[in-house]
Amino acid sequence: MRSLSETSKFTEDILTVAKEKACQIIEQAEQERQRILENASAAISREENDIVRNAQTEAEGIKRREISEVLHRAKLFEQSEKDKILASVLEGVKTRLREFAEDQNAYFGYLTKLTVDAIRQLGMDMANIHLTSDDLKRIDSAKFAEEISKLVSPITVEVAKDPIEASGGVIVTSKNGKIRIVNTLDQRFEALEPKMLIEAGRILFSGK
Amino acid sequence: MSSLETVKIIVDAENEASKLLNDAKTKALEIRRQVDSMIIADREKRLSKARKEAELQLQRTEAEAKAEAARIKEDSMEKTKRDLQKAFSARQAAEKALFDIIMGEIVV
Repeated sequence: MRSLSETSKFTEDILTVAKEKACQIIEQAEQERQRILENASAAISREENDIVRNAQTEAEGIKRREISEVLHRAKLFEQSEKDKILASVLEGVKTRLREFAEDQNAYFGYLTKLTVDAIRQLGMDMANIHLTSDDLKRIDSAKFAEEISKLVSPITVEVAKDPIEASGGVIVTSKNGKIRIVNTLDQRFEALEPKMLIEAGRILFSGK
Repeated sequence: MSSLETVKIIVDAENEASKLLNDAKTKALEIRRQVDSMIIADREKRLSKARKEAELQLQRTEAEAKAEAARIKEDSMEKTKRDLQKAFSARQAAEKALFDIIMGEIVV
């Protein structure tokens, strides 16, 4: 039989062990909670960073698109306005050519050069010269043929009666008409247009 | 003290110990159960804040982009206007140069 003090000691031990065990259980739970919270916090931080990073990427994209569109529209506008000026310059050149063709003193010397140049390119003994209706009206055909013949002697030339459609200049053909050298102002304009565009661009837009 | 009383005291102590352990287990369970709701609440709060910040950042950047685009547009228009005025004033010179190209290509 146990004495009272022994029994008390025994029950105290039971309770002490139980309290210690209870404390351990709670402490473990607290530690586990802390670990879970820390892991969860790290995961949430990653999610937060993802949200912010995605927003930054999207914002940068929006900014790039907005600026790129403005630059593109500005470039298109600039190009369109430059094209208008270029077109007006080319139109101005055409007007000058028409005016030049109407100025007999200046034009006839040039027409003679165009004709001689074409005949030399043709490289044949006989050639037909085709002029515009305006030139046919203004020029004495026989005299013109004679003038040309002197310059390209010993080649024989004749001025055809049928007019050509052009602002000015000449078409020289072989006697049988199979070979044609086109030296009209319109053809020259067309042939030289790429070179003229480069030169016009340099003068108008290069800033030199 | 009789044996019966001794046994009773010990059984009571064991019951009390058992209750202590059960209470501790219940509390531990409660602690673990609270973790989930704490995480859900914390996550919702922090992500909601992050989304708001992201939205604000988007709005800020959009406004900045619009302002920058407007400035670029204005600068570009100014430059284009200057270039075009310059080009326009060089028009006659260009016409003459092109006319000379057409005139000057004949070698006789």
